[in-house]
Amino acid sequence: MIWAISAGLLGLLALSIPVGIVLFLLGFGIDVFFSPFPLIRGLGNQVWSTSNNATLIAIPFFVMLGEILVRSGIATRTYAALDRWVSWLPGGLVHANVATATMFSATSGSSVATAATVATVAMPQAEKLGYDPKLFSGAIAAGGTLGIMIPPSINLIVYGFLTQTSIPQLFLAGLVPGIALAIGFMLITAVICIVRPDLGGTRRVFPFAEMLRALLQLIPIILLFTVIIGTIYKGWATPTEAAAVGVAGAVVIAAFFGGVSIQMFRESILGTIKITSMIMLVVIGASFLNFTLASAGLGRELEAMLEGLGLTSLGLIFVVVLIYIVLGFFIETLSLMVVTIPIIVPLVVAQGYDPIWFGILMIVLIEMALITPPVGLNLYVVQGARKGGKMSEVMLGAIPYVIAMLIMVGLLIAFPSIALYLPQALSGQ
Amino acid sequence: MEDRLLSGLRRANHAIAILTGLVLLACALVVLADIVFRQLGSSFGGTDEISGYVMAIATSWGMAYTLLELGHVRIDILRGRAGQLGRSLFDLFAMAVMTGTVTLIAWKCWPVLERSLANSSRANTPLETPLAWVQTPWFLGWVWFAVVAWLTLVAAVILVMKGRFDDTEATIGTFGEEDLAK
Repeated sequence: MIWAISAGLLGLLALSIPVGIVLFLLGFGIDVFFSPFPLIRGLGNQVWSTSNNATLIAIPFFVMLGEILVRSGIATRTYAALDRWVSWLPGGLVHANVATATMFSATSGSSVATAATVATVAMPQAEKLGYDPKLFSGAIAAGGTLGIMIPPSINLIVYGFLTQTSIPQLFLAGLVPGIALAIGFMLITAVICIVRPDLGGTRRVFPFAEMLRALLQLIPIILLFTVIIGTIYKGWATPTEAAAVGVAGAVVIAAFFGGVSIQMFRESILGTIKITSMIMLVVIGASFLNFTLASAGLGRELEAMLEGLGLTSLGLIFVVVLIYIVLGFFIETLSLMVVTIPIIVPLVVAQGYDPIWFGILMIVLIEMALITPPVGLNLYVVQGARKGGKMSEVMLGAIPYVIAMLIMVGLLIAFPSIALYLPQALSGQ
Repeated sequence: MEDRLLSGLRRANHAIAILTGLVLLACALVVLADIVFRQLGSSFGGTDEISGYVMAIATSWGMAYTLLELGHVRIDILRGRAGQLGRSLFDLFAMAVMTGTVTLIAWKCWPVLERSLANSSRANTPLETPLAWVQTPWFLGWVWFAVVAWLTLVAAVILVMKGRFDDTEATIGTFGEEDLAK
């Protein structure tokens, strides 16, 4: 059954059938070929019970929060402000790219939106100040991937929903690895620019007064992040409630900076509906597939297969990592995550690994998928915003950051507490 | 004819998407109000239940808009290597499979609503919401998705037969790399 599903999955995806629909088709296939009783009768109930869910409404809320911040011009202000603070480092504005992407990751939860925003704002600057287009655009593509790691992350919500894992705990677990990756990105940039100063463009130092003024621009967004994350961790609000607070906060910030208009709301709403429906079709499909797999007895078959392979538990993790790296060349973030969760997560958890830890490991691997060619969504987003230049430049520029991610994967496997310390410490386990 | 059909569908779904978004915003306000009331010591309860219903309905009604905006993700690793005619055939095939699947989903959603109607079921919650009230709009959303999928498929077939491949791509293709950055 496992091989039939895997082959069916890759074949149907290659035919360019929408990912959500592929998941439904696989579910139908399992029903016809592997299930002793008809499962399709449960389809309607699955669709209803998956989407009738107060946790998942956090998804459109977080998307809307990001859309409002981007479309009201807050991202542009943030970039300018961070420029004042980090442009003295070797690598200058490249750090502003990573830092802006990191901050927007923290509030928005969508990697593509983050990369698109930063790319649009930053690209004109790069030409003016003589930066190497490869490193500059690679940094934006990589920084934008942090959106799915640093909470609030929509991908972590989906992971938590599909694996029945606590979403606040996942958010906590993503915080340290996310920040560590951001710092790692900046370190690598600095090292590259010390070795090859010609790649780094003009370093600029701003007067301290100007830096302080810039800081004022950053306060609202840092405040918003603190409120969202703080209320979840303190147990005052569920992720859904915190997301609703975030939407309100974003509107207030936008109003404060004069970014509120009918046009802005219209665009934010349309963007939200488009992204939410895309995510939900995939999530409902995965949920139906999960249901059919469980009913057809996938668990028993996986155990048998594992015994047959004779892998150690560490060996299994390496195989899994390899699978994600290879699949990541061709399949994108959410799709990659959702199509693999039903099979891989039970396998890993059966070996005694913590599902929260594995969620974070999976996110790093999926972040890598966003910037590895030939199919790496963030690479295309950045290229699209560049107006000229070759695609291969962005791909080359992303390589140092892929290395940083690989190091992070190794660290997470060697020291699981990088992810697990915060959730365990704060929940008193 | 196909152009009028498509632009009509786009206009209708545009309006539906805006309306759906406003419902979501209203729901966010209800959640906020609940938090405030809870701090004052008097929760009106049931916010979670309402949010769940809003999510189910918003999800089903947003699907058709996303379809016409080419928002449902596809992997175009083979498709991207094909010529113009090949791409159109990939797109038509994917669209046909999608239309069939969505029709089946809508079909299988009906028994859920039918049972709630027949038993006058109410949610097992403090609000005791009659399930038919919330499942009817949810079900109609999936039916609308199926109807829009069929009409789009018909329009796309006409476009391909007329050899209008650029328009086919704009209607049922994948979203362009440049569009992502907008």
